[in-house]
Amino acid sequence: MAERLRLGTVPGRGMPPAFEELFRREYPRVVAIAHRVVADSDEAEDVAQDVFVSFYRRHPADASYAAPWLCAAAAHTALNVLRSRERRGKRDAVEALRRDAQAPDPAQAAETAETRSEVRAALARLPERSAALLALRYGGLSYEEIAAALGLRLSSIGTLLRRAEDAFRKEIAK
Amino acid sequence: MSDIEDMLSGPEPKVDTERALARLRARVEAERIAPVGHGTSTPRPFVVNIWLRGLAAAATVVLVATLLTVSGLAETILTIFEPRQLVAVPITTTDLSGAPSFEAYGTLTWTEQPKPYDVPDLRTAARDSGMTVLIPGNLPAGVGAPRYGVMPKTTATFTFSADKTRQAAAAQKRTPPPMPANIDGSKLFITGGPAVVTFYDDGARPTGATGATGASPFTGMPKLIVAQGRPPVVQSDGVTVEQLQSYLLAQPGISPQLAAQIRAIKDPSSTLPIPIPVDMATSKKVTVQGVEGIFVGDSTGLGSGVIWQKDGIVYGVAGTLTEQQVLAVANSLH
Repeated sequence: MAERLRLGTVPGRGMPPAFEELFRREYPRVVAIAHRVVADSDEAEDVAQDVFVSFYRRHPADASYAAPWLCAAAAHTALNVLRSRERRGKRDAVEALRRDAQAPDPAQAAETAETRSEVRAALARLPERSAALLALRYGGLSYEEIAAALGLRLSSIGTLLRRAEDAFRKEIAK
Repeated sequence: MSDIEDMLSGPEPKVDTERALARLRARVEAERIAPVGHGTSTPRPFVVNIWLRGLAAAATVVLVATLLTVSGLAETILTIFEPRQLVAVPITTTDLSGAPSFEAYGTLTWTEQPKPYDVPDLRTAARDSGMTVLIPGNLPAGVGAPRYGVMPKTTATFTFSADKTRQAAAAQKRTPPPMPANIDGSKLFITGGPAVVTFYDDGARPTGATGATGASPFTGMPKLIVAQGRPPVVQSDGVTVEQLQSYLLAQPGISPQLAAQIRAIKDPSSTLPIPIPVDMATSKKVTVQGVEGIFVGDSTGLGSGVIWQKDGIVYGVAGTLTEQQVLAVANSLH
């Protein structure tokens, strides 16, 4: 019993209802953000699992900052995954993306994966904040939600986003 | 659809939230992951707080305690140890939960307890610590007045015990390799500090640091922490660093990856490992004050810190600031 109390959860009883409610509400969005970065469904779901475990360990489910925290962590964790994939080399990166490259024939699938790999390599080279801004914006967050997630002023989001987009286009063109 | 959206688009992931929740439940159960405690009146701060505290403490003997008790591994390289350089050692959640605690190998006895205390001003901090305390010439906007704390020099003795190791392993139903006879009963003498930590609170805390959501997740956290201290020195009464490393890295619960990283440290007797929890933070080498330092960024992107060693003193600067702001503060210390 002492062990159970120390662990804070009783095996077999599951997680606190508030956490499960948070998970149901935010999971699709967390996966969507991660997917914009890693472009692979399985990896995006793995990122989301890690993000929720991280939150579960350290934060109460009813924390007012839960949603912005999860979104920011999704972006940064996915970017870490992307960078480590890039470090492993181009072949690995293309192979990882081929799984999700839906195309009628293998040659087209390979080409799609190659293009997406170049886009992701460019994203991985961006400064952390710029990449996170793009992941959150194109993962479906509003300016207000991005400001909350990244701890930035709402009034600066538009400018920062435009700069991030310009930097991204330059990286793609390299 | 904008060109960027077009580039970042792809087949939308098909999400089965209930299946994903079941997967998470199974993981939480299998890894016995505990949720944060309930009933606390103040909001739990971001994970950034964990390593911010760690970084602030890095220049103090608290770092030694953290390394010894949290990673359970740093002791492998602490024998006759006088660090002159720093190295980032990535650690994972599994490493933290799987590695045995330092207490499993023997008994730590404080001969001079770590007792930090507040001092009213810079002059007192310098006098009590016996160090020239560096101050930032450049502070980011919104940073309030400084508060100073001093950690006096601290010493401790650690005595290895084969009996204690066997008992700790048995309690976890594990079988450790036998402790070599020359390690059983041998002692490590650990000295840390003194250190000075300067805290800067948020000068004009708005209704919420995150702006849009109201309540700040950083309630109660300093905006900026600047720390400096004498690095820990460890002496042994006979056991060599190689003997300890060989024995401790063979313990159950220590991942081969982590063991390889520790073994890869070229000069373990003069290298201070900075544990970087890879699921919470990233790190990279940077140049600070003309020397090599380690920059650490929290995985939420909301906080960052840098640690370096110069002229026999370890320095750390951390805060809920951007990388540029933290490095600007670090480089402006004088």
